[in-house]
Amino acid sequence: MIRKELVAASAEPLILSLLAKGESYGYAIIQEVKARSDGKLQWTDGMLYPVLHRMEHRGLIKSRWAESETGRKRKYYSLKKDGKTAMAKHHEQWSLVHGVLAGLQKEQYV
Amino acid sequence: MFDLEPAIAGWRRQMLAAGIQTPVPLEELEGHLREEIEHQAESGTDTPLAFALAVQHIGKANMLETEFVKVDGTNAMRTLKQYQTIMVACLGLVSLFWIACLLLKLGNLSEITAAQQMSGLAAVAVMILLAGIGLFGHGPASLSRRVRDLICISRGRLLVLLGVWFICYVAEPVGFLLILPKFDGGALWIMLPPAGILFGFIGGLEKAASKGTTVTTS
Repeated sequence: MIRKELVAASAEPLILSLLAKGESYGYAIIQEVKARSDGKLQWTDGMLYPVLHRMEHRGLIKSRWAESETGRKRKYYSLKKDGKTAMAKHHEQWSLVHGVLAGLQKEQYV
Repeated sequence: MFDLEPAIAGWRRQMLAAGIQTPVPLEELEGHLREEIEHQAESGTDTPLAFALAVQHIGKANMLETEFVKVDGTNAMRTLKQYQTIMVACLGLVSLFWIACLLLKLGNLSEITAAQQMSGLAAVAVMILLAGIGLFGHGPASLSRRVRDLICISRGRLLVLLGVWFICYVAEPVGFLLILPKFDGGALWIMLPPAGILFGFIGGLEKAASKGTTVTTS
């Protein structure tokens, strides 16, 4: 299982990257993260919503209420222009961290 | 026999008791809860267990409320910063206006002496100082919460008062309005420092209120 601090830090870039593929809602976002990480990246479901609301207030994403195929009301989130910029920044920073780590790991085996 | 709807109603009551707001975010959380229950039921879990697991996954009410309060706090701070920037900009414009009027001897101030000019500039400086003290939360913060709330309620009226003040005493010197007799630099002492107090008082209430909120939520 991935550490709590890392899960928290990765929430925003993951949400932004998922929403870059198209609009989505809370439950689907959680399920997709779970599936893509083979269940290793697990959020407390309810904790996603404060993060989404914070991102919405910061102007990174926007939301709309719509009816699902089952007739239930759902709040769909989608990316805004500032969200795309923030996502690019996150990718750059995470890639840098990943690059440094990968480089250091490589050196250990040389 | 387990009945899902009363169980969800009970869960809603717990959330409301913890301070989770309705309709947002409670409706959204309830939607999530129902989806999770359906998902669990589809994979063969019986309804009572599906409900219990969904509740567990969504998290404890007080924990969620703490997170939402943090979001609200961040938003309030952002609004406060914007509000303060606007108030500081307004103070800057009014001050520049008066300094220009005094230095260039505009409008009804055309006949003021050098001493009156200096006195007027000092009055502007005092206005900036008094407004600044209030704007950055040092004045109204010392008031009791009840008094602050009372002023917050009548803030609209205070702003109207400030507007009337502006029309009478700020527009007057350049001759926009001729409702007042000509005044000299000394008369500014009666007008500008009280305007600074009022300006700082109105603007500083937000800051003072935010200090109160921080104490409450931390």
